[in-house]
Amino acid sequence: MSPLWLSSGLWVAAAMLAPITAGAETLPPTYAELYKPHGVDEIGIWQDADEDERRLTASPRVIRDEALTGYVKGVLCETVGPERCKAARVYIVRTPIFNASMAPNGTVRVFSGLLLRMRSEAELATVLGHEFGHFQSRHSVKLFKAERGASDVLSWAGLLAAMYPGRDTRRMFGDLRYSVLGHYFRYGRDTEREADRISIGYLNAGRLRPQVASEVWQHAIAEGLASAAAKGLRKPRYDTIAFADSHPPNAERAATLAALAALEGIGRDDGAARYASAMAPFLPQWLDDQIRLNDFGASAYVIEHLAEGGWTAPLWLARGDLYRLRGNPRDLVAATDFYAKAVALDPQLADAQRGLGLSLIKTGRRVEGQAALGRYLALRPDAPDAATIAMLAKEP
Amino acid sequence: MLRGKTILLLRPTIRVGAQSTGGMFEANGTWTEEARRNIAVALANVQERLDNRVVAAPEAYGDANRLAEEYGSLFAAVSASVVNYQFFKGNRLPTKKRDNKADVFDWSVGPGVADLPGARDADFALFIYDYDAYGSTGRKLLQVVAMLGPRIAISSGVHTGYAGLVDLKTGDLLWLNADTHMGGDVRTPDGAEKRVRELLQGFPGSKPDPDTAPAR
Repeated sequence: MSPLWLSSGLWVAAAMLAPITAGAETLPPTYAELYKPHGVDEIGIWQDADEDERRLTASPRVIRDEALTGYVKGVLCETVGPERCKAARVYIVRTPIFNASMAPNGTVRVFSGLLLRMRSEAELATVLGHEFGHFQSRHSVKLFKAERGASDVLSWAGLLAAMYPGRDTRRMFGDLRYSVLGHYFRYGRDTEREADRISIGYLNAGRLRPQVASEVWQHAIAEGLASAAAKGLRKPRYDTIAFADSHPPNAERAATLAALAALEGIGRDDGAARYASAMAPFLPQWLDDQIRLNDFGASAYVIEHLAEGGWTAPLWLARGDLYRLRGNPRDLVAATDFYAKAVALDPQLADAQRGLGLSLIKTGRRVEGQAALGRYLALRPDAPDAATIAMLAKEP
Repeated sequence: MLRGKTILLLRPTIRVGAQSTGGMFEANGTWTEEARRNIAVALANVQERLDNRVVAAPEAYGDANRLAEEYGSLFAAVSASVVNYQFFKGNRLPTKKRDNKADVFDWSVGPGVADLPGARDADFALFIYDYDAYGSTGRKLLQVVAMLGPRIAISSGVHTGYAGLVDLKTGDLLWLNADTHMGGDVRTPDGAEKRVRELLQGFPGSKPDPDTAPAR
């Protein structure tokens, strides 16, 4: 256990001191009729969502891999049940951030950055169950109405305040504005809390280990701390709510999910092995996308976290790239070591040979570096950078 | 200049709804569908006046669909640049000011448009965008009270749109018409016809239209 992991545990422990009513989890509600929009507002929101989905189906960012999409859809169906799941259409989107969403019309967007961070089927089910919770509780249309109500009140209040100018009016309007906006943001966070409860309800009733749900947020805290530490920033708080926060703090979510996870489920499988094998073909690309975000602490955390089950050649390669792209002389020495480990595990990994060659040359070991670049060119003679690398490999 | 050609109509982007008291857009599914239908009928009616044949782009699948979507987005970005940096006063780029003086209109989305689905059998592509937010009762009430009381001007309703014509051989933008205060209620057939006439006002080679002759 790393110290970061420990400190994320402390946040969660602190949040756990807040009282949580035991057994208050929302059980999956009955699902009688096919989900349809009701009323002008909801029909309009659906139409917008349909247009968005139309564009999404033609987007170059969608990863069109039937096996991967089918696997994620399967986890969703397993979580919420085959009947409810018919309302959902899953799209995997190549975006390196930790998020997913479900639109009111049933469009599920799962970002590659989320899949890179999840460790097991149970973790993925936690997030998918949460998004499905928003969908089944019609949170989009409720939030739309809340926002419209708030802006209506503030428009009239602003007009009245303009009719009776003066210091008291200004103060009263200011108070009202904070009150209305604060209420709206709080309402948004409450929908997130409801979605979390729906999600843990699904997990408790399912076949996966519900205790894993809390770990999603513990890892998110640990990653946030790692990112801030590498940037030299002040430690972020995960137990307080800022005025305009859209979600409850991560520590609260982790504590709530831990408290609501059914004890009898503790012996269940979490599906980590199945999950890992479904994601394996995509990890190199997603790791590369993550590294290019230039967030050293978070990327290092993600890679090390993935390596808890054992270091593989693609993981050593990713770690080498992370250090080589930061590019301090000490990083290049470290990168050389990481690439060498990748090459030792898989000599056919062309990118690792390339990284090894470039780092060796930069750290003054030209002969060994050129040999590695030669191996790269032999493995991938038609690489787009073949001409450049060949020049480096031959230079006397 | 433009006679007897085939014009490929790409799926218009149409969004119709209401404007709430606070100014938010409230999408309206029924209105949007009506507008889509009415605008299609109106386009068919006015094509005679254009002296050209307008055909709807065929339904595309897979890569062809992706290409059509990308060109739709590219055209939207280019026309936003035309509107922002050449058409209207205030934000014009110096080079575009010079172009305006010399009567030059030089924009292109590139010759790749020739690969668009349906492009082989057509000469030009027509892009249409329409956004309507009709002021709600609450918004109108707020507008009136604000005017009678503290004399604050609040706008009610947003009606913007543009139409553009692209040469399918070169990708050059031949003509673009943008309007931020359009007339005609697209929810009714007659209103939609008026709207389409306004959108296509000044269309290359079209006969002058007495109804929508520019007032300025």
